[in-house]
Order: sequence, then structure tokens, then C-alpha cells
Amino acid sequence: MEFFRQTNIDFLGKRRTIIWISVAITAVGMLLVALYGLEYGIDFVGGTEVAVQIRPEPDIAQIRSVMDKAGFSGAEIKSYGRAEQFLIRVREREEGGTAATAVLETLRKGFPERSVELLKSDRVGPKIGAEMRRNAFLAVILAVVAILLYIAFRFEFLYGVGATIALVHDVLIAISAIAIVHHFGILRIEINQSVLAALLTVVGFSINDTVIIFDRIRENRERYKGMNLIKLMNLSINETLSRTINTVLTTVLVLLALLLVGGEVLQGFAFTMLVGIITGTYSSIYLASAFVVEFVQRFQRVDLDAEYRKLREAERAAAQA
Amino acid sequence: MAPKFSQVWGKWALLVLPLALGIYILWPTYRAWQLEAERDRLLRLGDSVALAEFEQHYGEALRSAKQNALKLGLDLRGGMYVTLEVDVVKLLEEAAEREAVDEVFRQVIEETRRQAERSDEPVLDIFLRVFDRIARPQGRSLISYYDVGDLREVSEERILERLRRNIESAIDQAQEVIRQRVDRYGVAEANIQKQGTRRIMLELPGVTNEAEMRQLLQTTARLEFKLVRNNEEAVRAFYAIDQYLKRQRGDTLAATPSDTTVAADTVAQASDTADPYAGLPEEERQRRIRQDFPFTSLFITYYVQNERFVPIDYRRSDFPEGEYFFQIPKATLPEFEAILSRPDVQRLLPAEYEVALSAKPDERLQRQGMEVYAFYVLKREPELTGDVVTDARATFDPTTNAPIVLMDMNAEGAERWARITGANIKKKIAIVLDGRVYSAPVVQSKITGGRSQITGMSSIQEAHLLEIVLKAGALKAPVKLVEERVVGPSLGEDSIRRGLLAGLIGFGLVVLFMVGYYTGAGAVTIFALLVNVVLILALLSAFKGTLTLPGIAGIVLTMGMAVDANILIFERIREELRRGRSIRAAVDEGHKRALSAILDSNITTFITGLILYFLGTGPIQGFAITLMIGILNTLFTVLIVARAFIELMLAYGMTLSYGLPRQRLVPVA
Repeated sequence: MEFFRQTNIDFLGKRRTIIWISVAITAVGMLLVALYGLEYGIDFVGGTEVAVQIRPEPDIAQIRSVMDKAGFSGAEIKSYGRAEQFLIRVREREEGGTAATAVLETLRKGFPERSVELLKSDRVGPKIGAEMRRNAFLAVILAVVAILLYIAFRFEFLYGVGATIALVHDVLIAISAIAIVHHFGILRIEINQSVLAALLTVVGFSINDTVIIFDRIRENRERYKGMNLIKLMNLSINETLSRTINTVLTTVLVLLALLLVGGEVLQGFAFTMLVGIITGTYSSIYLASAFVVEFVQRFQRVDLDAEYRKLREAERAAAQA
Repeated sequence: MAPKFSQVWGKWALLVLPLALGIYILWPTYRAWQLEAERDRLLRLGDSVALAEFEQHYGEALRSAKQNALKLGLDLRGGMYVTLEVDVVKLLEEAAEREAVDEVFRQVIEETRRQAERSDEPVLDIFLRVFDRIARPQGRSLISYYDVGDLREVSEERILERLRRNIESAIDQAQEVIRQRVDRYGVAEANIQKQGTRRIMLELPGVTNEAEMRQLLQTTARLEFKLVRNNEEAVRAFYAIDQYLKRQRGDTLAATPSDTTVAADTVAQASDTADPYAGLPEEERQRRIRQDFPFTSLFITYYVQNERFVPIDYRRSDFPEGEYFFQIPKATLPEFEAILSRPDVQRLLPAEYEVALSAKPDERLQRQGMEVYAFYVLKREPELTGDVVTDARATFDPTTNAPIVLMDMNAEGAERWARITGANIKKKIAIVLDGRVYSAPVVQSKITGGRSQITGMSSIQEAHLLEIVLKAGALKAPVKLVEERVVGPSLGEDSIRRGLLAGLIGFGLVVLFMVGYYTGAGAVTIFALLVNVVLILALLSAFKGTLTLPGIAGIVLTMGMAVDANILIFERIREELRRGRSIRAAVDEGHKRALSAILDSNITTFITGLILYFLGTGPIQGFAITLMIGILNTLFTVLIVARAFIELMLAYGMTLSYGLPRQRLVPVA
């Protein structure tokens, strides 16, 4: 089987348009994030969260009235995974209070004829939450910088910058996607530790496609010395297209499996990675090299485009003759 | 055309050995799982006879298998994860002299607490700043509220130094108390770790009840000073317990083996040096001793004579007056404690006595790989409780340079201490925290003035531990819960099931794709993937890592990423084939040329794994670890195992198309 056979697509021809479209999409995404807001999990803001299973299932309004009566007004109550499972988030009543037990007791008293089982509970102090938030931010920045340095070291600095811009793009798009699906209630995804892990893995993984292409560019540069950079890059992207797509495809397959059957806890992780690596492939093909070309044109003042146009015309003429 | 085995055995070995090694390492995991399932089945049936039989036959096997089995994280097995932090504000509040505390001081504490809640600055610094602003203008100084705890001259510097020291040791103190409790309540495989300088992380598998956890964590440990009564009276009581148990067993078992026992006893009485069990095979000898001395054979009793320890036995009941010493190996501790806790047995022990275990096993024996505890017979009523201790400090004796601990008491304590020590010269007084004996120094002379010096520690670490214990009397290390996560058992099971299912589906999809796209060569990846997953689990198990739910996600993800390396190689080989190279040359070239891209892409992912490991916590670290192990395994399985597989296929004359259409020769019209 072969999906792509000796393609000859001009990926870089419309690169300005593509860059602007990508910038626009990212900007809109960020705007939506600002508008809809991200919901932070208690890992990052602190608080108490209790997941319970109540059989036979009550509806959320019933739970709310039980909670309100016990003085837990303003508790957030959502369904969690299955119909009979609920997630209840309460504000701390007192410093060091036993909120999880209190919630469980309240529910058992409120539904004496039903079985109430604790699935999990998390209580994170506000200070630890702030610390984790800071660490998370630091981790993403560190990861991006580390990748920039590595690519700069293995290839060239400009390539490192191109790859890094593509990465930042992927992470921002993934974050926007979270905000959108969360806002419209498609999936309940909060920014928590496992989403952070997914974002970092996106950074480490979506660079892979870029590396495959850059590796080929380096190899072709040796083989076809003096070839126009745009032509060289187009050739390299086309040559590696099937592996770029296939490598992502296999990862998409396992992530789909995780997303669909992996359960509530892994949903945020799987979704974030899925969006991140798909955009990662797009950005590897269309953006990373495009930025390198732009930088070269700006800083080395070479009109690669004009040169490339001439080449294409010559090719066409030769084909017609 | 089969090649000679001598040419291909190395490649066969590359296929078989890693898999075999992985399976070997994972065997205990499988065995533990299997035995546990069986035990649970019996438990559900409530068949106590079968259960006892199971315990006898497989108990040891199960324990040793569990020891070497892959550990599951709390999110998979259920349990509680807690992070504690020293409540420095509370410590500062409680360290103040109670009588001196006034409105101004309360105001300072309140303001400090408010500020500390949202600042990372050391709490002591915040406190001092607030103190300067609020208390000093009103004519207060630290001296108004704090004492230095000993008879030295009081100064602000001394107070500060002492507060700083107390804050530092508070976390060790809390950790020590909690460790003892966790040991005592038998929370299996609990994990306690210090995080940084102010936090303790606790993992309590199986504990999902907050009340249970709080029992472990309430840190108001009792420090007591009790007189040691390791005397002939105690030994006689032990002898009585032996006789009582034997009699009782005789009652229940009628008179089965007692003939020989009586004979042995008479022989023993006749000549007290002859070993009645001489000539018996070792196993039989042990069995007889266990039978004849059901209680005292569980430990070793020494008679202390001129500072020499002479082991004695319980064959005769005339025990000389004087001091005794008892040691018990960890193995027999449960039985020892079970017997002692029986009310009918307790009646045989003098009412004012109790038995207490040493907090730590004997250091010298431990270095030889034996875990042996000392136990003490103590006077139940404490001579003094720890709240009279105002300070303790581990240091070195200026003349002998040996580690010592200095202990200070308040005036009331000092007075009583003088009386107690005066009445017990050359006797031992045990320092007991939470029911465990940390030290039992011999009183050398009457101690007046409240300052004592404890010597005989083998290391400064031991002295430091004693300092912490003694401080528990003066200062309750206040800790607060800053993070608490509970996973109920049903969610854990559900997570495992879903994780496994996702893994299987992911595996299936990847395999379908690879075989569909790359045909025969794709099948190689199935094998490589299998080896990869087995080795991830095996390495995790070998390095005593824990498998968490994000860890499972990491493994599933690795399956998707591991084949990427295969794809890079296969695509390259396809290219070389299209260029018209032979399959042999294409395979070599493909592997060589794909290497740099494979390395680069895996190294970048590895870097993010490292960052995640160092900045993440708990389960996320589990993800980072499986991700990193997965990457190393991927390099190994793809570059070495899968390569060997392909080489073998070629050597055995199989054709590999890598999914390209066969080239055909067609006659030109």
C-alpha cells in the first residue's frame, strides 16, 4: 500500500498566505481562550473535589438540594463519566477541614436508601496549587527552550527558531481547542496535571515531524549542492511526506483508543495530545520550513522566491518542449 | 536455503533473550496476581480452613512474589496520598511562653498567618518583619515572649537561633512519629518521604478512610520517662507464660507429644549443662524447642553480669537476681505481640509492668543483615512526662568527642528529675515516645539543676534522632495537610480495566495499520512492540518503579511512537528499493540513513520527559518515567531486535516487499 507516491506539491509557494492564516487562527484561538476562559483543575487552584457513585442515580438537582441543606452552598456538581457518577467541588469551609468526609457523610444522610460510594477525592491547598501552576508554566517554557537549543545544536540556529515557532503554534492551538470543547460542553477538560503532561509531550513529539523534514533537508543539501532553498525544502517535504503522515497516524490511532475507552481521567490528556500532534504535523509541513525561508530572505537578503519562480518557468518550458 | 545455525545464532539470541529476560523479571508479578486472586476467591467463599491451608502452602510464596512484583500506584490500587507541611506559624505561636502571650502577640501571629498564606517567603522572616512593625513600637521584644530553654543568658540572637533550630527539626520529628505509627498500625507498603525541607509526603495504600489516616497523623505523641524493670521478676513471669501456654495446649490437644517433653524436662533438670536436644537433627531440634518453650523461644534472654551478656534459657526456674536484656528478631515479633496481648497472658505479668519495644533495630546486627529489636519491661506508670523538657540538642562531648545529647528541663521537672535520678542510680530509665523505647540510659548520678547529658550513642545520627524525640515533649511539631488525594478501590480497578482495554485496542489498530501498509516487514513491528511493552514493564519492576494510570497512558503512547522509528526505516528502505537497489542493500542503507532522524526525534521527546519528571508530581512522574523507559526501549527494539528479525528473514530466504508492488517485466509492444 502507498498513500503518497512521488508527490510534487509546492508547500512553500503560498507560505505567506499560510503563515498569515495560521497567525489568524492562533489569534482567534487565543481570543476565544480569553473570552471563554480556561477552567483550571484543583491541581492548579486548590480546593476540594469529591467523585462519588450513587446508586440508584439521583439527578443533579436532588444532590444540589441535599448539599445546600448541609451548608455546602455554591458547590459545583457535575456528572462524571457514567450516569450514576458525580463530581462535587466544594469551597473549603475551614482551614484543614475534613471536606471530603463531610461531603460523603452529607450525601449518605441525604440519600439514606441509596448506596453512596467514594470514587476519589482530592484536596489541594491554595499554596500548593499556586506552586504547581508556576511549575507547570516553567516546565512548558523550559521544554520549548530545551528543544530550541537542541535543534539549533543539531541543525542550525535558524532552523531551531523555525521549529520553535511551529511548536508554540501547536501548544497554543491545543490550548484553544481545550477552551472551545470545554465551553461548548463537548468534553469536560480542565487544565490539570495530566493536560500539562500532554502539552509537554506535544512539545517533545510534534517536533519529530519537523526533525524528519529538517534531517532530509540537510541530507539533500549535501546531495544537491547549490539548489535553490525553496526547491530543496519542497523536495524534502515531498520526499518525506508519507513517513510524516504515517508516524502521526499510528500515534493518532493509539490516542483515539485512549480517548474513547481510557476513561475520564485520561480524556483530557488524550484530547490535548491528539489536537497537539495533528497541528504539529501541519506546522511541520507548512510552517517550520516556511519560517526558515522567511528568515533567510530577511537576514541574508536573497530573493529566493524570484529564483524559484525562474526555475519553475524553466521546468515548465522544458516540459512543453 | 537455510543458513548454518552458527551464522545466525547471534540474531536468534537477540530475539529470544530480551523477551525471556523480561518475562523472567515479570514472573513474580504474574505469580502474585495469580495467588492473590486465589486468596481473594477463598476470602469471598469464607472458607477459613482452605484459607489457612492456602496461607500455609502459599503464604511465603505470595509474600516473596509481592516483594518482587511490579508495584501499582495509588491511583490504580486505591489508597490515600497526603502531603503534610510544618505549620511554622503555629509552631511560633506554641513556642511562646504561655503566660507571656498577650493581645499584641496574638495580633502579630494573626498578621503573620495572613501574609504567609500567599507568600513564599520563609515564615520566620515574615514573622520578624511583622513583629518589628507591630510589637516593637509597643515596647515588646522577642525576649518578652520567648525563653531560650536553658540557663544560658537570654538574648534575641539566642532566641532566634533556637526558633530556627526548632523549625528545622519539626519536620524530622513529625516524620519520626508518623513512621512509627504507620509501622505500628501495619499499613502495608506505606511510603513516607521528606520533600524539600518542610514537607512530608505519605502514601498509604488501601487506606481510604480519612478517620483512619488522621489517627496516623495526629502528632501529639506522648514522651515519657519510665523505669526499666528488666529483672528476675520479669524473667520469672516469662517462664510462667511458657508453662501456662504449654498447659493450655496440653488441655486442648489431649496428651499427644507431651511424653517426650516431660522426658526432656527431667533430663534438663538432672544436669543443667547437658543439651537435652543434643544429637537431634537441626530441624527437629528447633521444632522441639519451639514446642517446649512456646513463648520464650521467640526471643533471646541475656543475663547481664559485669557488663557481659550471658544468654540464658528457661529450662529451670531459679533465675538469679540482677539485670537482664532481651532481643527479638523481627520474624517472631508478630507472634510475640499476639501472645502478649492476650488478656489471660497479661495476667501472668505483674500488673505494674508493661513490655515496650525499641524504636529501631540493633544497628550492629542490622549491618549484618539481621533485623533484631530489643524489648524492655517497664514500670507502667511514667516517672515523668515529656512536657517538662524544654530543649534538647545533639552535640559532641568536648573531651571525648563522642556524640551526646543535652537535655534541659523546666524548674518543676528538674526538681522531680533530681529525686528520680537520685533514687535510681546505676539503674536504667527508658525514654519512651508513643510507646517505643528510643533510649534507656543508665543513671550515673543524681541530676540536679535540670540539665542532663545522655551518652552512649553510636553515631551522631542516633543522637540527632534522640534530640528529635526529646523535643517532642517540649514542642508538638504542628503539621497541616496541604494536599490529600483519595482513590477508592472501585475507581482503581476501573482505571486498570480501561487502561488495559485502551492498550489492547491501540495495539490492535497499530498492528493492523503496519501489516496492512508494510506487509511482512510490518509484522516484524508486532514482535518489536511486544518486546518493547514487556521490557517497559520489566524495567519498571526491576527498578522498583510504580505503575500509575498516566504511566499506562505513557505505555500506550509509546506503542504509537515506537512504530514511528520502524516507519522511518521502512520508508527509507522503500525509497532505496525504488531506486532499484537489491533488498539486501536497501535494508542496510535504510537503517543507516534513518538513524539520525530516529535519534533526534527520540532525544527531543526524552528531554521533555526529563523536564516533566523533575517538575511534575506523583502520577505524572509515573508518566514521565514510562515515557523515558519507552523511548530507550524503542531505540533498542527497533534498531536491534527488529533489525535482527529482518536479517533473519532475509537469511532464511524470505522475500520482503515492504508493501511496494512487485516489479514486473512486461514485454514492450
